[in-house]
Amino acid sequence: MRRLPWIPIVAVGLIVLAALAAPYVGLADPVAMDVAHRLAAPSAAHPLGQDEYGRDVLSRLIWGARTSLGIAFAAAAIACVVGTILGLVGGYVRGVAELLAVRSMDVVLCFPPLLLALLVVTLMGPGASTLIPVLAIVYLPSFTRVAYAGVLSVRGHEYVTAMKVLGAGRLRIMTRTILPNIAGPVLVQFSLAAASAVVLESGLSFLGLGVVPPAPSWGLMIGAARGTMVQAPLLLLWPCLALTVTILAMNSLCDGLRDVLDPHPAARRASWFSRFRRIAAPVVPEPAEPGTVLDVRGLTVAIGDPGDGKLAVRDVSFHVREGETLAIVGESGSGKSLMSLSAIGMVPAGVEVSGGTATMEGKDLLALPAAELRKLLGDRMAMIFQDPGSSLNPVHRVGSQIAEAIRAHRPVSRRAAMTQAVTLLRNVGIPDPERRAKAFPHELSGGMRQRVMIAMAIANGPRLLVADEPTTALDVTIQAQVLDLLASLKRDGGLGLLFITHSLPVVAEIADRVAVMYAGEILEEGPTAEIFADPRHPYTAALLRSAPKDDGPAPEGIPGTVPVPGDLPAGCVFAPRCDKRIDTCVKTRPPLFDIGPGRASRCIRWASL
Amino acid sequence: MEWFVKRLGISVLLVWLVATIVFLAIYLVPGDPAELLLSQGGAAPDPAIVEDLRDQLGLNRPVLEQYLHSMAGLLRGDLGYSMMDGAPIAGEIAIRLPRTLELIGAAALISVLVGVSTGTLAAVGAGGVFDRIASALAGLGLAVPVFVIGTLAVLVFAQSLRLVPAGGFVPFAQDPAQHLTLLLMPAGTIAVGLSAIMFRVTRSAVLEVTVRDYVRTARAKGLSFRRILTRHILRNALIPVVTVLALNLGTLLGGTVLVEYVFNWPGLSGLLVDAVNGRDYPAVVGVVLVISILFVTLNFVVDMLYAVLDPRVRHG
Repeated sequence: MRRLPWIPIVAVGLIVLAALAAPYVGLADPVAMDVAHRLAAPSAAHPLGQDEYGRDVLSRLIWGARTSLGIAFAAAAIACVVGTILGLVGGYVRGVAELLAVRSMDVVLCFPPLLLALLVVTLMGPGASTLIPVLAIVYLPSFTRVAYAGVLSVRGHEYVTAMKVLGAGRLRIMTRTILPNIAGPVLVQFSLAAASAVVLESGLSFLGLGVVPPAPSWGLMIGAARGTMVQAPLLLLWPCLALTVTILAMNSLCDGLRDVLDPHPAARRASWFSRFRRIAAPVVPEPAEPGTVLDVRGLTVAIGDPGDGKLAVRDVSFHVREGETLAIVGESGSGKSLMSLSAIGMVPAGVEVSGGTATMEGKDLLALPAAELRKLLGDRMAMIFQDPGSSLNPVHRVGSQIAEAIRAHRPVSRRAAMTQAVTLLRNVGIPDPERRAKAFPHELSGGMRQRVMIAMAIANGPRLLVADEPTTALDVTIQAQVLDLLASLKRDGGLGLLFITHSLPVVAEIADRVAVMYAGEILEEGPTAEIFADPRHPYTAALLRSAPKDDGPAPEGIPGTVPVPGDLPAGCVFAPRCDKRIDTCVKTRPPLFDIGPGRASRCIRWASL
Repeated sequence: MEWFVKRLGISVLLVWLVATIVFLAIYLVPGDPAELLLSQGGAAPDPAIVEDLRDQLGLNRPVLEQYLHSMAGLLRGDLGYSMMDGAPIAGEIAIRLPRTLELIGAAALISVLVGVSTGTLAAVGAGGVFDRIASALAGLGLAVPVFVIGTLAVLVFAQSLRLVPAGGFVPFAQDPAQHLTLLLMPAGTIAVGLSAIMFRVTRSAVLEVTVRDYVRTARAKGLSFRRILTRHILRNALIPVVTVLALNLGTLLGGTVLVEYVFNWPGLSGLLVDAVNGRDYPAVVGVVLVISILFVTLNFVVDMLYAVLDPRVRHG
């Protein structure tokens, strides 16, 4: 939870206090006229001077606060109580009550607020006694809606069902269980309504249709001072200032309250925009072996400020060859997605690469200027993501999204790119591609969308394809189809595939080599068949035991959870959960041991496992 | 298509409801409406005059007959006659409505240009100097009531600096330059608050969309920053921006009252304020009705616009 907004709370508190104290602090009579001293300059008796009837300006300002805030708070309170009850009843009882309580508010919302107020003022005449019910009606629908929405979202929760099962009555459930849960949004709405009521009241008074003279009101004071604004501009400025400061304080209070009560804070300061400005000195990396598509060495990624030492990925090295699939496997939170995204320069918001190189075609992707990197992304290397539903732009047709990828790297016409897009859709096995190219993403099934993503990724014939859990969001039969498609692309196109997954059956099906990742480190690496048959790290063994098999023993879970960056064990990162642990494991962090051709393990006991 | 018909049906129903409520409003207030309209300052009005007014407003006839009569009039575009000068209300509204719409249109144009561009810039450099300054200014813009801005603008630009006239209206056909000069101050005054609102929505919508998966996809395609910003981020951020703009335009339909009053702009609101002051009930009802119908129509247009902006809406 965030800190309470103290500055606006104090400011609003002071204004309310001044309004409450108006009769007791020895102010001059706010309505006593002294025409002989009209528009008099400030004096000891009248610190802010006198108005066009010789009345004391300071006194009228403070009494004006009393009028404005009194009307605003009274109206907001009535609207709050009545509206919340209507919303609660409508949301909880449903049926006819819902229709009457909630839908009727839609009709009130058909009238612009000021207009509704004017209609009532015509009938009932101006004055505070009219303003309070008028403003209450204006703000009623917002409270009803907030309460109604709140009830709808909590009424299905387990604790409400539990109360019902326990035999609690409707009234009891509404007041004891639901009301406290919607109190936050209602409170925010109250402060919004009060602030807005101050504006509306002063506006009506300014027109002469609100508070009746000679009663002090900021709106009336501004209206009256207009006539003498050239001779006495200060007379105009004081009430303007008072009104603005009050509303500013109340608005800040609303914003602050909302931030405190909102469980999903909107503050996303860090964004990837800055990446577009990155210009780093190019480092010439060591030449990679021929046939290597991507060669990553010593990649280290820091979360937040690199100085904090929260390293989510530490000293990771691997390579992907042409026509080969390297699977990165690990539990959720092991850092595999972050590592893979960072390796190809798609560093997400809020993290920084703090070390290492990633070489592709003789260029270090981690040091490349943004413009250079952009030329490679989507052309020489491409990505497929986990959820094809959210990874496609909902407002553009899929064909044009594919064509866009082509046109970003090739100087072809829109029409030619669209023709290519249709061909690509056919190649990834989409039936009736001409028609499907004109579809929006939401009109396609999940499997179909992932095929579209794949078509988009291979549009420019990349050498490297990074697939981040591409089958996780799909059901099993579709999974198999997508894996087959990826396998055939790799075979025919000779591209290197970096495949990120937590599913061992998928690894067995698609990968040539496997790197097992845990807590931001690679714990074991080697050819798929060897790793599955003869794991040389306790974590790999535990992962294999946890995967369900058709004919083997029942799967076993791994006790404990993945440690978070910034709170890593001192020794081996897996030691706390390891059943083969010895004293040394807890004390010193093991290096990656070379344990045979193409195999490595980070366990000091690899030989004896 | 089915969706379109449904939305249209709802809008027609709302217009009918609004008309009925406005008709009934006079009966919802406790006491005799004719007496109420004539009573000023607590003194009991002359019974003969009250009887006259009842007759004039048709309050003597059965309620149902009055209702059918007024609905039939509405369908013909007949809103009755003013109690002050006996002129047909519909005619007066027809002259003044375009001026109010012009004012709102000009204010909306300024606000969208200023608010959307600064909001996008602020989101792109979120947390930076421009973002902080613009956010603070927007907070201030939201806090100053529109009549305060208007009054201060008159004091500064018209009275002290003498750059522009303090207010008034000249038909466009008569003197285009003067017409636009006179439009500038009231439209600019409304635009202060509206720009601040547009700024805030744009900024938060852009930040919201920026972290979406499909923007990451756009990056992975190797698109240029400008293209990601316009075609992927802004195009999606536009949806909430249009919603909020429409909501506020609706509020403005009735909210220009204060600005028209400050700058002597002879729009619909002037008519309304005079009518309220003079307790000219038929005129108030006419203006309220017209604006509310426009309000409902605007909401309908926005729903249609959604369907264009967001293809998902079309499928319910």
